[in-house]
Amino acid sequence: MKLRLQITKDQDIRFISHLEYARTIERAIRRAGLPVAYSEGFNPHMKFSLASALGVGVVSKAEFVEIELAEPTSPLDAANALNDALPRGIQVLAVDAVENSAAKLMSVAGGAEYEIFLPYDKDMSTAVEKFNAATELTYEKAAPKARNKVKLIDVKKFIPAIGLTAANGVVRLHFHCKITPSGSMKAVDLLNTLNQYYALELPINKADVRRLDLYRSDEDGHIWPMLDSIYKSTK
Amino acid sequence: MKKELGIDILNSIQKPARYTGGEFSSVIKENATVRMALAFPDIYEVGMSYLGFKILYHLVNKMDDVAAERVYAPWVDLEEKMRAEDIVLSTLETKQALCECDLVGFTLQYELSYTNILNMLDLGKVTVLAADRKEDEPFVVVGGPCVYNPEPLAEVFDFAIVGEGEEVLIEVLECYKNWKVAGKPGGRKGFLEKVVTIKGIYVPAFYDVSYNADGTVAEVTPNNALAPKTVEKRVVKDMNSIDFPTAPIVPFNEIVHDRIMLEVFRGCSRGCRFCHAGMVYRPVRERKPEVLKELARELVKNTGYNEISLVSLSTADYSCLGPVIEDMIAEFKKDRVSVSLPSLRIDSFDVELAKKVQEVRKSGLTFAPEAGSQKMRDVINKGVTEEDLMNAVGAAFESGWKKVKLYFMIGLPEETDEDILAIADLARKVQWKYKEVVGQGGGQVTVSASGFVPKPYTPFQWSGQTELEELRRKQFLLKDALKMKNVSFQYHDARTSIIEGVFARGDRRLGKVLYEAWSKGARFDGWIEHFSYDNWLEALASCGLSQEFYAQRERGENEVFPWEHLEPAISRKFLWNEYQKALAQTLTHDCRHGTCTGCGVCQQLGVEVVDWSEQKS
Repeated sequence: MKLRLQITKDQDIRFISHLEYARTIERAIRRAGLPVAYSEGFNPHMKFSLASALGVGVVSKAEFVEIELAEPTSPLDAANALNDALPRGIQVLAVDAVENSAAKLMSVAGGAEYEIFLPYDKDMSTAVEKFNAATELTYEKAAPKARNKVKLIDVKKFIPAIGLTAANGVVRLHFHCKITPSGSMKAVDLLNTLNQYYALELPINKADVRRLDLYRSDEDGHIWPMLDSIYKSTK
Repeated sequence: MKKELGIDILNSIQKPARYTGGEFSSVIKENATVRMALAFPDIYEVGMSYLGFKILYHLVNKMDDVAAERVYAPWVDLEEKMRAEDIVLSTLETKQALCECDLVGFTLQYELSYTNILNMLDLGKVTVLAADRKEDEPFVVVGGPCVYNPEPLAEVFDFAIVGEGEEVLIEVLECYKNWKVAGKPGGRKGFLEKVVTIKGIYVPAFYDVSYNADGTVAEVTPNNALAPKTVEKRVVKDMNSIDFPTAPIVPFNEIVHDRIMLEVFRGCSRGCRFCHAGMVYRPVRERKPEVLKELARELVKNTGYNEISLVSLSTADYSCLGPVIEDMIAEFKKDRVSVSLPSLRIDSFDVELAKKVQEVRKSGLTFAPEAGSQKMRDVINKGVTEEDLMNAVGAAFESGWKKVKLYFMIGLPEETDEDILAIADLARKVQWKYKEVVGQGGGQVTVSASGFVPKPYTPFQWSGQTELEELRRKQFLLKDALKMKNVSFQYHDARTSIIEGVFARGDRRLGKVLYEAWSKGARFDGWIEHFSYDNWLEALASCGLSQEFYAQRERGENEVFPWEHLEPAISRKFLWNEYQKALAQTLTHDCRHGTCTGCGVCQQLGVEVVDWSEQKS
């Protein structure tokens, strides 16, 4: 049996990396005493995985972890035990259980919903309108480890439209970003794209990025939750 | 006062998780009468690995109304931004600026971290020099291994805790709480006059130092009737009676020792003559096997770590090690928790034991012969032979290990080039041993050699440190001799050893040097990319002092040392005799299993060696 849980990455710990987040969950699983399955061999590793990597600094209400168990257990009890074993800053929101042969959660995620808050006192509505009307926008992203190499990101393929609200010198961008079998794009690169195309000079370093949801989707654009039959945790 | 590290700052520095807290088992006390910062003068990953602070954090946070919070040195990238935006250094738990804490406690682990203490105080908006500190500022406290000579920092801290902190820190905090609740009678001096009456407390302002014409210390005398003539260290008599933290903080990011650290005993009586810890942490006091097993059980449950490291100054000497390891391995195997030993002695190396600790995960083997020739091992009283090493590595190779790491020191007293070259010979013989045992070449040997630094309260406290150029020559001599297949050589920049040597046996006059070097940008001196030897030499010169006087000078038998009013209780006569025996290449046995060797610690402190295999009580 595999447990699937929806967990958070709250504000206080938003700056821990994906690897640190994963290791924290691994230790929490151990502390919770869940009957987790291990691989064989000299360096046995715990069989668990996260549905998608979250950028450093991004807050999330929708991280999903899948844990393979060596023996079945009550999902709700397991969720409560795990919740108690997690640090402040990670909470279990929901739990589901599937058979071991079920497809990995990582492979079923189809999209994510984000909001970004940003201190910015100029009007950017025209830029957002242009973005929404554009059919194709390509962002040239410098490849992090290779010099003189760029990765071309077809932004509109991932993010078709942005919603914009502004108040008190802070803008809020709201959008959905597709996750495809060949990858996705980082929420923060949307800001880079907007700066590149519309010369907005958005202060990207100050962006407060939050993932609101992660979900499954099909080619027709239907979306549905990551977990099938959700037992809400009592906490 | 700006405390918050904004998103833009955290986005632009390395490893931001160092600075945001929130780790599992970290303790948040919103309301506390007394707040003490446990300040580690290096980065988070180093400081979080320090067992002493894990112990004190746990003990202090068990107190009512008292909170212990952590703070580490921000790395240079963050410091730059903090200074640019005037952000004050604050604790991880409730974001108290250091200047808002009641006490700021630094551990003195390493002489080259002293500039970080000054820098952290400054970043925390605490006045750096104690004499200038205002009434409402925190008290700066120091403790840890280098507290047996804290004199170079005497102008910085308000008081020091000498010895093991478990009991005395609680007494100090109770004393502080009472003073604070009573409305701080007598001001800062009022508190210092109270706290100095607790055994193990040293208030440097209560002592005057006079010097001879040749620059050596003439006398250290109390100038306050309440201050004792000498401050004797505090020790815990029974390791089983004190609380050991079973729910230490589990960090998010990977720290240096990212595993359970279970202290099996304190002290070491092997008597290696170079070893500061072996002299100042006496006597040996073991924890009972049953206590260790129960602690391990709790630690595994509360941390989720998958490795238990049994730590002490020489874990292979724990009298019940075999059964304890077997029981732990058997108990935790189902949870994939492994047991590890930090390093191994070659004379007590037990290959069966080593095999057992490898059952769950494979790792390398580390041995510490410390010196290459028998003569040098006798000088330092290491008490091991080449045969011991060959037996140990032979058994290890036979059992499937392919890699060994060997630790050595160079620049020891009485050392000649032959002794240096003997290190290379040993490395070669270890490889031959591999070929003999396995039938083909390919055994991998890593030789690590550090420059010897004479430390206070060791038999070599009288000894001159090898000068820089000579130490470098010896490094190259060894490096050239080690140009062999499958042998790698690791060594440190010799210049850092010299400055370490200056401060290890320094006096109060070095306070000015420290301040001067820090003012000119010295910090993170233990990190070679930030260490500036020239800056240190200039600071010494500007204060009219020299590294030769502190590091290289051979001391006379009767010279008064700057640190002798701080007592680890080891007798000066014993240390001098050990020095003479070193020069005569004569060994001294381990008092743990034999007769008393007369170091004087047990008698002076009223404690005993505790060895559970012999006592069975």
